[in-house]
Amino acid sequence: MGMYLYILFFILVSSNVEARPISYSGGSTLMMFSDNMKDSLYYHYSPSYKYSVGIENLKDKNLRDNYSYLRFTYLINRKNSLHSQRNLYFQSGLSSKSGNDLFYGIHGDWETRRWFLGFDTKKVENRLKSYNQNHVQIGFAPYLGEYGDIHTWLMLKTKKTSIKDKRSSYPALKFFKGNTLLEFGYNNKTDWDIHLMYRF
Amino acid sequence: MKLLITTLFIVSSWAMASEPHDHDGHSDMMHHSHEGHLHNELVDGEKLEVNPDRFDKFVLNLTNTQVAVISVKGMVCDFCARGIEKTFQKDKLVKKIDVDLAQGKVLLAYDKGIEIVFEDIQNKILANGINAIKMQILVI
Repeated sequence: MGMYLYILFFILVSSNVEARPISYSGGSTLMMFSDNMKDSLYYHYSPSYKYSVGIENLKDKNLRDNYSYLRFTYLINRKNSLHSQRNLYFQSGLSSKSGNDLFYGIHGDWETRRWFLGFDTKKVENRLKSYNQNHVQIGFAPYLGEYGDIHTWLMLKTKKTSIKDKRSSYPALKFFKGNTLLEFGYNNKTDWDIHLMYRF
Repeated sequence: MKLLITTLFIVSSWAMASEPHDHDGHSDMMHHSHEGHLHNELVDGEKLEVNPDRFDKFVLNLTNTQVAVISVKGMVCDFCARGIEKTFQKDKLVKKIDVDLAQGKVLLAYDKGIEIVFEDIQNKILANGINAIKMQILVI
């Protein structure tokens, strides 16, 4: 019963977590994401493990607009050790609306099989408004699954968007198995966050 | 007697030192048939650091096979490992693949006569953003 309530708690008050923005060489990824800022469908292809190119179609709930981004992500630095990996990425997107509508930023993470630390800072520029988005997250794996098992992460995330000038922090719950990742939650300030990802 | 022991020591040391070695971290190994205990075998004096159950399951029913045990750095999640598995699935020389996340190992089974080139394996693993640092080969 205690464990049931524990899981239910995380399901009800969690948020999205960024997944790896670049796949393996020749790999493709399809992501569906929804939160209080946007509904998004993003496909990217990685010719190399160092960069990915993709297209994101999104419904911007803030601007009440639909448009697409041509996205480019580059691995600036990676440090592999026996039990950890650290990454620093440059991320960018050019809107279908105009050449002046774009975003750019940095995404970083450090991960072991047990712990995850990540941050994401992004500047979004468009013809109506420019704003910053910042995310920080920490994750913990309550058990260490073997290859092929269902893996579970309990995350704590904080995010702030200058457009709303409010910081919100909340737990998140992430599962993945095989090529599929599912992440979801609910926060009373920002409503539902859902993220589904499939790698192929 | 001392001379005999000294001579035996020198000869055996020389014999062990002349076992094949590779500067790329590749070490070759021995032949064995005690199925179910292969994970206990020594490869160039080093024990295979593998999950015993996983390894024994991997080698079960494999014959005329050499298993390359690749030690890697940076393979911290299932997603990282998935790309490695897909890469080697495309290699027709590889009979079987497994990943041991806990020990940071990739297991690759090849037919006995195949020449296993560590540099090729390193490049394939690097294509997934992971570093292969060592290879041990166990012949079954």
